[in-house]
Amino acid sequence: MTESELEALFATGRSRPVPPSEALLARVMDDAMAEAGARAGLGAGPVRGQDRRGRLAALLAVIGGWPAMGGLVAAGLVGVWIGYAAPGGLDTVRSDVLGSGYEITDLVPSLDSYLDSDLAEG
Amino acid sequence: MPFDDRGEGSDEALLLAYGRGDARAARILVLRLTPWVLAYAARLTGDRAEAEDVAQEAMLRLWRIAPEWRSGEARVTTWLYRVVTNLCTDRLRRRRGTGLDSLPEPADGAPGVEARMQDEARAQALEAALARLPDRQREAVVLRHLEGLANPEIAEIMEISVEAVESLTARGKRALAAALAGRRAELGFEDD
Repeated sequence: MTESELEALFATGRSRPVPPSEALLARVMDDAMAEAGARAGLGAGPVRGQDRRGRLAALLAVIGGWPAMGGLVAAGLVGVWIGYAAPGGLDTVRSDVLGSGYEITDLVPSLDSYLDSDLAEG
Repeated sequence: MPFDDRGEGSDEALLLAYGRGDARAARILVLRLTPWVLAYAARLTGDRAEAEDVAQEAMLRLWRIAPEWRSGEARVTTWLYRVVTNLCTDRLRRRRGTGLDSLPEPADGAPGVEARMQDEARAQALEAALARLPDRQREAVVLRHLEGLANPEIAEIMEISVEAVESLTARGKRALAAALAGRRAELGFEDD
């Protein structure tokens, strides 16, 4: 076979298209995104200290950041105070609904009882 | 779907952008590089399914090296050619382990077939003859005569000297010419 005949075969080989399937392109793109995701720390794996901070930040972002967390803490403290102080208005509700046989402490567990049980267990 | 998207910056700039998390850069690289990676793998392996696996694996290695890519050290295409060449060589060696029977057989042809069928017969004959060349000769011949690369770039891809490339391509072509000599008439080459 001569040089020019061989070159004719090469020319035929060069002109043959090998188009990629859309499925292959999609797989390659998926790999690219998966690698980028893994680098960004979103992949599975052991949770290191820095990742924990990242996940706490993500949780805070969901509920509205540190200001929202401050609001939650304040609401919790108000609830504790209401439970501990047993406002007087509740007495009226108690006597109207249940009569005089119950004290308010029978209905609303006080902070003292929690503290007592904690101390007893501790 | 556009496969040739060359107006969006250099391969290296896009790869560095992808390394910084730019998904758009990744998409352009997928569309730009996957077609020729696949075509080169198909020319080396002669097997479409195997070429797809090689293309995906080569591109995966590209994604993984992106954050560490050193600007100006190597061309992205040269690096990919080298990766694809090595992946194909590994696969062909494993395939040869099962015996030459698994290599494609020369296609039957007949004088007087239409041009399209003759092209097909020529392409298949070349593919079969290439598959029987030693690995390094096949790689050099494919890079030079099917990919159309210059010898210095082939030398860089194969990590050998330019003289070694010239020697490999010359021996490869002689072997191809000898292997196909008996099929000249069948492939539409008539004596003057």
